Amino acid sequence: MSIPAQPTEPGEGRDLPVPAGEQPGPVEGVSPPEPEGAATPSPVGRLAATVDRLRREVLEAQAEADGRALVELAKGILVERLGCGPSEAAQQLSVLAGQSGLSPLEFAVDVINQAAKDRVSEVTQAFLAAVGKPEDPAEQSAAVRLRAAESGALAAAHDTQAVADSLLQHALGPLGAVAVAIWAAGSDGSLTLAGSAGFSPGEAERWRYVPPDVATVARSGLTEGATLWIESLALTGLPTIGRHLHPDGGRAAVPAGSAGRVDGILEIAWPAPLDRQPPQVVRQVEALADLCAHTLQAYAHVRGPDQEPLVLPDTAELMDLTDGLHDPALVLVPHVDAAGKLVDFRIQHVNDRFLDPAGRPRAVVNGALLLEAYPMAAGGGDLFQRIERVHATGEPFRARRMSLTALVGEVPLAAVADLSISRHGSCVLLIWRIEDESARLASLLQNAQRLGRIGGFEEDLLTGETTWNGQLFTLYGRPESSPPVPLEDLAAHTHPDDAVVVGRLLRTLLHGRRPASAAFRLQRPDGVTRHMRIVAEPVLDTDERLVAVRGAYQDISSQHWTEVALAATRDQLAQSEQHASERSRLALQLQHAIMPPTRAPLEAPGLQVAVRYRPAEEEHLVGGDWYDAVVLPSRLVMLCVGDVAGHGIEAATSMVVLRNALRGLAVTGAGPGQLLSWLNIVAHHLTGSITATAVCGLYDPSRHTLRWARAGHLPPVLVRDAQATPLPLLKGMLLGAVPETVYEEEEVQLAADDTLLMYTDGLIERRDRSVEESLTQLLVQARTVPPTLDQQLDRLLTYSRSDTDDDTCIVGIRLR
Amino acid sequence: MSLAQNPLSVEVTLPREDVALVTVEGHLDLDTATDLQAHLANQLHHGRRHFLLDLSAVPFMDSSGMNIILRVYQEARGLPGSVHVIAPTPAVRRVLDLTGVSLTVPISEKVDEALELVDRQQLSDGPQD
Repeated sequence: MSIPAQPTEPGEGRDLPVPAGEQPGPVEGVSPPEPEGAATPSPVGRLAATVDRLRREVLEAQAEADGRALVELAKGILVERLGCGPSEAAQQLSVLAGQSGLSPLEFAVDVINQAAKDRVSEVTQAFLAAVGKPEDPAEQSAAVRLRAAESGALAAAHDTQAVADSLLQHALGPLGAVAVAIWAAGSDGSLTLAGSAGFSPGEAERWRYVPPDVATVARSGLTEGATLWIESLALTGLPTIGRHLHPDGGRAAVPAGSAGRVDGILEIAWPAPLDRQPPQVVRQVEALADLCAHTLQAYAHVRGPDQEPLVLPDTAELMDLTDGLHDPALVLVPHVDAAGKLVDFRIQHVNDRFLDPAGRPRAVVNGALLLEAYPMAAGGGDLFQRIERVHATGEPFRARRMSLTALVGEVPLAAVADLSISRHGSCVLLIWRIEDESARLASLLQNAQRLGRIGGFEEDLLTGETTWNGQLFTLYGRPESSPPVPLEDLAAHTHPDDAVVVGRLLRTLLHGRRPASAAFRLQRPDGVTRHMRIVAEPVLDTDERLVAVRGAYQDISSQHWTEVALAATRDQLAQSEQHASERSRLALQLQHAIMPPTRAPLEAPGLQVAVRYRPAEEEHLVGGDWYDAVVLPSRLVMLCVGDVAGHGIEAATSMVVLRNALRGLAVTGAGPGQLLSWLNIVAHHLTGSITATAVCGLYDPSRHTLRWARAGHLPPVLVRDAQATPLPLLKGMLLGAVPETVYEEEEVQLAADDTLLMYTDGLIERRDRSVEESLTQLLVQARTVPPTLDQQLDRLLTYSRSDTDDDTCIVGIRLR
Repeated sequence: MSLAQNPLSVEVTLPREDVALVTVEGHLDLDTATDLQAHLANQLHHGRRHFLLDLSAVPFMDSSGMNIILRVYQEARGLPGSVHVIAPTPAVRRVLDLTGVSLTVPISEKVDEALELVDRQQLSDGPQD
């Protein structure tokens, strides 16, 4: 969006234009337009005026703040010069200002000029002498303006945009300029708009970058090497930022730099053709360019709030170069504080080969401050001081086998490296080559530590010093203030049985000088025993002397539970992957919940009862077989097996209904025939029109009789004197086929050692034989009578000739 | 597998307009039962009330086959109609007796015998219509 600036009133040149697009007000078309030439301003006009006023108030507040900064500065100078306190200095300042007939602000600037004796004061004095009365109606002298501009520029050293604002407001506006642009020059001759004021944001956005060899006003200034004064843009035909605003306006392009090095261009725009400027103005403008150079040097590593990092092209080239290096390399840019003092270096770039000694991801280190990322750089190794010196003098530094220290967790990790430090433009290039694989190991250690509750340690064998990180104190259950336990004393803290293991570890490590690991039980002072694993390695110096041991402890007590949890999760996953399988499993669980595969024998007077349930091997075939054996309130024992047609969850749920129904019905004291005819009604009215077969018997312990009936089910088998015979095929329709039916009933007298078996057809069913043949086979099997009933049922299951993978239930009773 | 070894053949003739004579040949089990069920459902759809199932060529029948017979029995009963099993082999006869289905579904040795039963039933049912 292009936002044209509003025409500015004379004397208000420094006010920022109000972007038309931002003018709030009635939406067009909602209210009728005011007649032209009306005496009252339109609502839009009134709002614009309000916005304008508010904006001016903000700017005044800013200017006042800048002024206060100058007064504070002057107070500081007085405190130093007069050796007095701050309040005294403030009083002194106002008294002296009153005596000299100046405003406190003007007097403050005088004090600063006196103290500074720099180019600004020289320029301002010359300027004051030549220009005489300032044009600005405000009570600000040129000296105040320049100092204010400088103050603003210094306060905003990192913010070129703020510097541009400050320059325009304090220094250039009063000279009649309406806009200013600060260009950062790249080594390739390109120009980047580092900051601007007085141009619309859209225009600034369009001119954010000027490629090399494109002739613009700023570019001409760059090639000229000296201030370029353009009387009117229309005469030169050179394109530049904001040209359409004031096509006839004058421009100045002032090289900004120091020590023969041009960092950029200060471009100043006037609304009207420019006359030849007096030398005082020229010198003032050059002084301002100096201020710009100051900020442009720090500009390389400035990032916009939500923009790509703004980087000077020479830095970009250096970054490209490092990516081609085969050693880890860092590009550092100076980081200065508000006072322009170098306090640190920012890690502008690390190359592909770079491996953080502390094992952090590259992105964490990239962009961090050097001392924040590597606090140890300031310590023993003098690394930071070396870099600082190289940056200051430009003299490269090279060293072999320099000791570097990085913190891994909180354990300092020493590494020996070859170093190269050199300056390139504003940047410093740091290259190292680490001799061993310490960095890689450290990276592994760091990651492992993070992942697995690992405590790290290092023992300096020369000094006898042991260092632990915080985690290790926690693992040991010791306060961080307590002394760490050296490896030599480890055995005193372990379970006595683990002493041998620990002894072997120490021998491998200290005598064999090889990495070693061991698992042991740590006995903590709080009485807790933890399972630990220790991994340690020896550190040898160049003469192969053992200088240190470092390693880690891991608490593996919880590992077992982690594995259990993992297995459970895997199970769940497999289940949800196959819904069908889940339902089958559910059917099986239902079966198991109701009928455990084996159950403690049920005891009734003079009677042994045993049951077996074997679910189908393939889960989807698990179905509706059931058994039941229960002592009724009447002291009779109800025995039952049944089989619901079909498989899966539907069959299993129907089975549950029928089994429970039969139990409930049995309490009425009715005979087995009656029970089955009721059960038939239940089955017939079950949803899904299921059918089922069942055999039901009531054993009377006092008379040793079994009264039974069957509903389409195989009759029970009686084993007596090594002879197995099926009971007769009583009339009985399977359950659920017809709404009502009756069931034939029979009573059988049992004798001591008689065995009676009820079973489902899973026990006998074969595809290639009739029921008759299969039954005969079963009868042969049943003839063998092992000593216990349980053994007999197990035997039947084991030797079953069935070839259909179906559920199988057996209920057996034996008289004692 | 089982289908290839023991393919089920089902033939339907109409001795009367509302009587379907269904002749089944082969093992009637889990793998083939749906085949028979499809034929029976088709006949039900075409208005047959009486079903004569000739099982003389069915050497083996499991509970799946029996459930098909029970299902068509339940359908026919409501029409009203009937289901008859004709000349079952001993093994099939055994299953029908074992499950008690023979208590409800009449078993005849010949088709004529079954047709006679159908006619008799229609006479007794007639006035109720």
